[in-house]
Amino acid sequence: MPSQTLSRALQAALAAVLLGAVALAAQAHHSFAAQYDSKKPTSVSGVVTRVEWTNPHVYIYVDVTDAKSKKVTNWGFEMGPPHMLQKTGWKRNSLKIGELVDVDGWLARDGSHSANARRVTRKSTGEVLGAASSNSQTLAGNQGTQRPAP
Amino acid sequence: MRRLATGSIALALLVGLAVHGQQAGGPPPGAQPPPPAPRWADGRISFSGSPTDVGNWEGPANASIFFEMTNGKEVRPGPSLPTNLSLKDVPFQPWAKELYLQRHASLQADDPHTRCKPSGGPRMFHTPYGIEIVDSPDTNEVFVLAVGAPHSWRVIHTDGRAHPQDFKPSWYGHSVGKWEGDTLVVESTGYNARAWLTREGVPYTDKLKLTERISRPNHNQLRYEAVIDDPGAYTAKWGGGWNLRWSEGNEPFDYLCQENNRDPARMTGPKGE
Repeated sequence: MPSQTLSRALQAALAAVLLGAVALAAQAHHSFAAQYDSKKPTSVSGVVTRVEWTNPHVYIYVDVTDAKSKKVTNWGFEMGPPHMLQKTGWKRNSLKIGELVDVDGWLARDGSHSANARRVTRKSTGEVLGAASSNSQTLAGNQGTQRPAP
Repeated sequence: MRRLATGSIALALLVGLAVHGQQAGGPPPGAQPPPPAPRWADGRISFSGSPTDVGNWEGPANASIFFEMTNGKEVRPGPSLPTNLSLKDVPFQPWAKELYLQRHASLQADDPHTRCKPSGGPRMFHTPYGIEIVDSPDTNEVFVLAVGAPHSWRVIHTDGRAHPQDFKPSWYGHSVGKWEGDTLVVESTGYNARAWLTREGVPYTDKLKLTERISRPNHNQLRYEAVIDDPGAYTAKWGGGWNLRWSEGNEPFDYLCQENNRDPARMTGPKGE
């Protein structure tokens, strides 16, 4: 349907603008590279179980069910500080407990079920919310402040 | 405060004129040079905004005070000054070089700033979320406000005083400043040396005497330079710096690192893999 195509194109364009704005604005008070690995992107789908709208960074928690074993694992995702997320369209209640989301991000180095969220997609609406918290973390997944040893 | 108010009006007029100039048929935005740095009513340069020119300085987290080699090629982050030294030319004492390389190899996992510790000197000038430099001529003080991390500030005395003879070392040290033309020159000492001098992990000791030169070449750019004189960690004076970008519309906000800081426990660096 042309109207749906247009709608999706508009959504994609808006998402690109939004994510671009986040990439410009989003930085962290810490070294991204020490905590997350930009070479290990991850993408999960699950149910929102908790939203921590606090400084210095917002966290959301998502129950992810393994397709084969049906085992449920609760993942934690770090995002930008509340103020920065607000500037890019987030609200404290943007996500509802129990709603389905897709989350893209980068895995933590410590092997825990945690990651730095790059973007969150609400399954019910298709709305894409940029969420990156660290410097230079763009869609291409740059390396933040990490530099190879001299 | 009257001088500040008068200065704000002058600043607003100057910025307004610059904006008007852009709208009056000049080259398209981006093709012309940025507006000049605003000035106070007495002609002194201003490092801050105004009610009609809201904004502050974005600390470039990727700025580096010296250049390192990656795959045989020197990496020069955009905001860094082109005159910065190469890492191999920094006059480290052996222990300081070893400590720096250790911090580098850990990907800055132990940064005190991440633990919400105040970090003065250059570290304060490449911290994200906005930096404001507030000039208070009535009290002969300049305040540097950093939104990121511990929501902290430092004071630079511009009343001509000297450093005290005996003081307790502190996170930000004791700072005195004077104007050399359009450049604010700040001398600081009395550091407790419990932070890192830069985001990359440049070490220092309580013998540090830091000289900072802050200027505003145009409305959109702040130039920050530091000279490090620390016989406890280096064999000679050295320095470097970077440029900060004016972040239009940005204002201080309630960012409190201490509120729910979970990052330190997870900052393993490569050891976590």
